[in-house]
Amino acid sequence: MLPPLLVAALASTLRMLSAYVLSVLTALVAGVAMARSRAVESVLLPVLDILQSIPILGFFPAALLFFVSALPRGWGQEVAAVFLIFTSQVWNLIFGVYSSVKSLDPSLFDMAKVYRMGRAATFFYVCVPAARNSLIANSLISWAGGWFFLTSSEVISMGSEEYRLVGLGTYIVEAFERGDTVSFGLGMAVLVSIIMATYLLVWNAAAQQALGRRLPSLGPAYEALRDLVSKLWGALGDALVGLSSRLRVPRYAWRAVGAALAAYLAAELALLISGSGGLGAGGLLPTLAAVLAALPVSLARVAAVVALSAALSLAAAYACYRSERAGPAVILAGEVLASIPAILWWPLLAGLAARRPYGPYVVSGVIFLQGSLWYLFFNLMVYGLASLRREVEEMASVYRVRGWWYLRCVFVPFLMPSLAAGALSAWGGAWNASIAAEYVDLGGQAIDLGGVGALMSKLASSGDYAGVTASALLLSLTIVLFNKTFWRRLFKYVEERYGGEVE
Amino acid sequence: MSQPVLSIVGVSKSFRQGRTSLKVLDGITLEVGEEFVAILGPSGCGKTTLLRIIAGLERPDEGQIVIHSKEPRVGFIFQFPTLLPWLTVVDNVALPLRANGMGWEEARERARKYLSLVGLQAFEDFYPRELSGGMKQRVNIARALAVEPIILLMDEPFSNLDPLTAEALRTEILDLWTLKVTSVRAIVMVTHNVDEAIFMADKLVILTPRPARVRGVIEVGLPRPRDRRSAEFQKLEDKVYELLSA
Repeated sequence: MLPPLLVAALASTLRMLSAYVLSVLTALVAGVAMARSRAVESVLLPVLDILQSIPILGFFPAALLFFVSALPRGWGQEVAAVFLIFTSQVWNLIFGVYSSVKSLDPSLFDMAKVYRMGRAATFFYVCVPAARNSLIANSLISWAGGWFFLTSSEVISMGSEEYRLVGLGTYIVEAFERGDTVSFGLGMAVLVSIIMATYLLVWNAAAQQALGRRLPSLGPAYEALRDLVSKLWGALGDALVGLSSRLRVPRYAWRAVGAALAAYLAAELALLISGSGGLGAGGLLPTLAAVLAALPVSLARVAAVVALSAALSLAAAYACYRSERAGPAVILAGEVLASIPAILWWPLLAGLAARRPYGPYVVSGVIFLQGSLWYLFFNLMVYGLASLRREVEEMASVYRVRGWWYLRCVFVPFLMPSLAAGALSAWGGAWNASIAAEYVDLGGQAIDLGGVGALMSKLASSGDYAGVTASALLLSLTIVLFNKTFWRRLFKYVEERYGGEVE
Repeated sequence: MSQPVLSIVGVSKSFRQGRTSLKVLDGITLEVGEEFVAILGPSGCGKTTLLRIIAGLERPDEGQIVIHSKEPRVGFIFQFPTLLPWLTVVDNVALPLRANGMGWEEARERARKYLSLVGLQAFEDFYPRELSGGMKQRVNIARALAVEPIILLMDEPFSNLDPLTAEALRTEILDLWTLKVTSVRAIVMVTHNVDEAIFMADKLVILTPRPARVRGVIEVGLPRPRDRRSAEFQKLEDKVYELLSA
């Protein structure tokens, strides 16, 4: 018999890994399809734009219901958990693949066409290698995002029913509920060790090798893993390329597959919506009115959180930039903190929450930051700092532009494009986190801070799926409205003012 | 004329620019036998578009391209080397073969043969970034020859090289062509360099400014190797410039 903690750790890691592999494969297929086909691009780009900025947690009960009812018992929750982790990892990976394939020299595709390389060979030998670096850079963020949602995916309450999957999240939550401090501490220690180990051994090493960024890492394990993965991937590519060169799948067959897939997804979506009670059902109007009434307070919180995240990330980036020694420590600390699952903060900070009147607000703020800060943090660390030009640094040091003036006229402007990109993701992340941050039920002791997130949490735990789905849709609509007005304008401004090359 | 390898029949092509449609090719008809044809024309006249249509990269609005062979394979020497940075030199050359069903080992074997034909046998395991511009262009040539095409298309293949490297490569291509060591039965080269066209080609096709029509066809008929300072060469050059500026 293996000790339960080990089993839990293995189960959670395996869950993370399957979700990650699924995310990467999806990102490659969807990203390449979007970059290569205008039809796919025109459909998927707006859809993904919405999907990445809506509160996924809000849709989770509906998705869970769908998986549990569609699959044999035991499998449904497992698949739903992997799906939730997947939704927290996949969007930035897709956009990364899409933009790196889209920006490839088009003559490479002419070359592939002249030599009749076919789709499989073009995919495996042209598109995927081109997307590799962006996959690695985005994996730093996605891996943390996955852990963040781990517990939410392992402990799921659906009305009166509660599902608990074997895993670290469940282990830690149960230890806390029993008041078993030792197990709680052990569970946290194992969780943090796994997170640190995966970053040190895999992601940071990969980013260091592929992107040339200096990150705390240990190389050898990664090299073995890389060789194994490239061997497996190479064999898969070779088999598929060999197969497709013999089959010569005609053009319309691909289109038929694409159309069938789209039709299937649309049908499933319709089923999901009708399964969750139908949106037109009566009784929803009061719920929607309540959501609208709660919007301003949540909006204010989200805006404050994004602003605070930007300030903290800029400070961290500046510390990293100024000090060779502090840099790696700041990054590793960020990676671990970013990965600590959302609802573990409540038990961790429960004492504070109970003892002080402002306690719940502090805890809620921490969870909000957890859900949004890291998008900004990693964007600045991975892309922002890399965009600072040596010539400009030299210019600044020759003319003694230092301190405040350096920050204002050199450092921040150079980081602006990645700051804006990170802020948009952070904004979506903060909305998503609001569901976990504004309301929590800690073994009978409920903390309710109001707002849309709290409203949706309460609807979910009372089993009102139609209500949750409808409010999630309304909230998504509001967020998309902001994206299309405020954020679009901001991006245009930043692009025009700060996007240029150094002349 | 020898038996035809390639027929271009009434090819027209327009590009849409916003609301207006811009005609670039207007009823081009041309027979290419077993010969080296250079297509000359003012810049922006649609030479490259014609080459891309022959290669199947673009569809003509009207007319058609006929390649008179059971296996109508074409090799394409791109203006820039267009090598995949993540593959070694030998794999870059072998990839088109592998993608069309040949096993890796056989494909690499064939790639090595053509790499040694362009003098790169010692560099097969290098990556493109480790090569000079001239060497990269040689890989581009080896890749085009390795598919064993019957038609070789070249899009200003020497325009991005320094003059010495360009001249060396011109001679090498001519040697491969005149010695008939490859599968190539016809070459179509697009260029705006009159001197290069007369130096290399059997036949010159001069196009008009946009929309391109065939203004004139000149048989070069000078013995190889050609002497650029000979009176005949100079006379031909004058004639071509006259047609180009007419």
